[in-house]
Amino acid sequence: MTNVLLITYLMSLIYLSIANRLMSYVQILAFQGLLLFASSFIELAEMNPINLTFVLLETIVFKTIAVPLFLRYTIKQNNFSREAEPYLPNFVSLIIVTSIIVITFLLSNMIEDIKLNKVYFVTALSSLFVGLYIIGSRKKIITHVMGFLIIENGVFILSLAVGNEMPMLVNSGILLDLFISVLLLGVFLNKIGDVLKDVDVNQLRNLKD
Amino acid sequence: MISLVLILIASLFFMGIIIRTKSITSGRKGPGIFQPMKDIVRLWKKGAVYSETTSFIFQIAPSIYFASILMAVLVIPFGSYGGVISFNGDFVFFAYVLALGKFFSIIGALDTGSSFEGMGASREALYSLLAEPAFFILMGSFALFTGHTSFVDIFTSLHFGTYISYALGILATFILIMIAMIENSRMPIDDPKTHLELTMVHEVMILDNSGFDLGLILYGTHLKFAMYGALIANFFTDSFPFYISIPIFLAVQFIFAIIVGMLESFNARFRMGNNAQFIFTLTSLSLLIFFGVLLILKKII
Repeated sequence: MTNVLLITYLMSLIYLSIANRLMSYVQILAFQGLLLFASSFIELAEMNPINLTFVLLETIVFKTIAVPLFLRYTIKQNNFSREAEPYLPNFVSLIIVTSIIVITFLLSNMIEDIKLNKVYFVTALSSLFVGLYIIGSRKKIITHVMGFLIIENGVFILSLAVGNEMPMLVNSGILLDLFISVLLLGVFLNKIGDVLKDVDVNQLRNLKD
Repeated sequence: MISLVLILIASLFFMGIIIRTKSITSGRKGPGIFQPMKDIVRLWKKGAVYSETTSFIFQIAPSIYFASILMAVLVIPFGSYGGVISFNGDFVFFAYVLALGKFFSIIGALDTGSSFEGMGASREALYSLLAEPAFFILMGSFALFTGHTSFVDIFTSLHFGTYISYALGILATFILIMIAMIENSRMPIDDPKTHLELTMVHEVMILDNSGFDLGLILYGTHLKFAMYGALIANFFTDSFPFYISIPIFLAVQFIFAIIVGMLESFNARFRMGNNAQFIFTLTSLSLLIFFGVLLILKKII
């Protein structure tokens, strides 16, 4: 069952590469939170109940509800244009994301370790790289934040694979997630919004000598 | 043999159901189920008018187009009953005999010398080109999954059992529906109702055809829809007796027609520039099916 969820997760990454609007990015992030909730619910059955409740609450409250709502609020407040404004055309993005998935698949196939769960590994690694690609190829700061959240999701998936043996790893991943989302959304974005009155990263280029 | 008869029967009412669905969703009563077929019969009774600038290619192109679709229909099986012709690797034959028909319809359109038709032909070629890898990766994964390379063996030994195989079945159905929409130039890619030549894909290619040839091309579309419907139905009719599998077949065709009608009623056509990436998405999704099959076969753990 988790395999199905993880394949759906990869499909959401493919959709992310061709999505035009910021709102679809937010919806995809919420949907990914839901997928992570379901897969951690299935996968982490052997964890102790209190810890499991904490993990499930984090995925459902933060990843699925709070962060997307806050992103939505920020987009509404700062009057961003609704387009994602990539540097590259969407078709190229789609090809790049597809080849990222294929390459990570081939890469993980080269590792001959029986204990490694390949599906988790492929999903997590391609999520990391897609997040990096989103950060590198989109103009707006807010899409950089979203790319970082996708990297976070990748880390979370990787920690899920070993969650039953090392519960602390999942918790530390979640703490990182909470910390980064609060930091990025609260401080970083507001500062830049106030000082520069605009959140296009191209404006930051003017700062250099 | 049974599949040929069933596909011919389904092709009679398929387009009528699409048009009926579209009429009902837009609040009209709509024409009868067999009205598109009656129009085609009326066209078949007419003679054809050929432009003086065209050569013999323009005259034979519609017939070859129709014949290629008929050849493709012959290899489609019905459950465990093979098509009229069936051999190892017939899904490759299926794809390329359709491509041959498409090639002739494209050079037939170019033969008229009209700039509009050349534009439509170029678009049609691009979209078929992008849809082809999706079909091959999909059928290739199923060939890998079952260990057979002909349609009838693949569909006979296709057994679903685990969660992931059901998920892949749903995904494969979605991809096949979308490939059918692309191959027939229907809504998300192309609007069959449009009246502006600049935004047409398939309609602009057949502007110069008339009478019998136009009838062949239109009936070819119906047949193609019923053919893809039969392919999809094969996922669901595994080795039941006839009195169960034939109603399943007809029900799948019926639901497929309603889905197409719904898609056409509630979807807007994509911008021409976005079509390429949409079609390539299908290839990405079928790659995921391929990986899923590798997962089921324990090629990766």
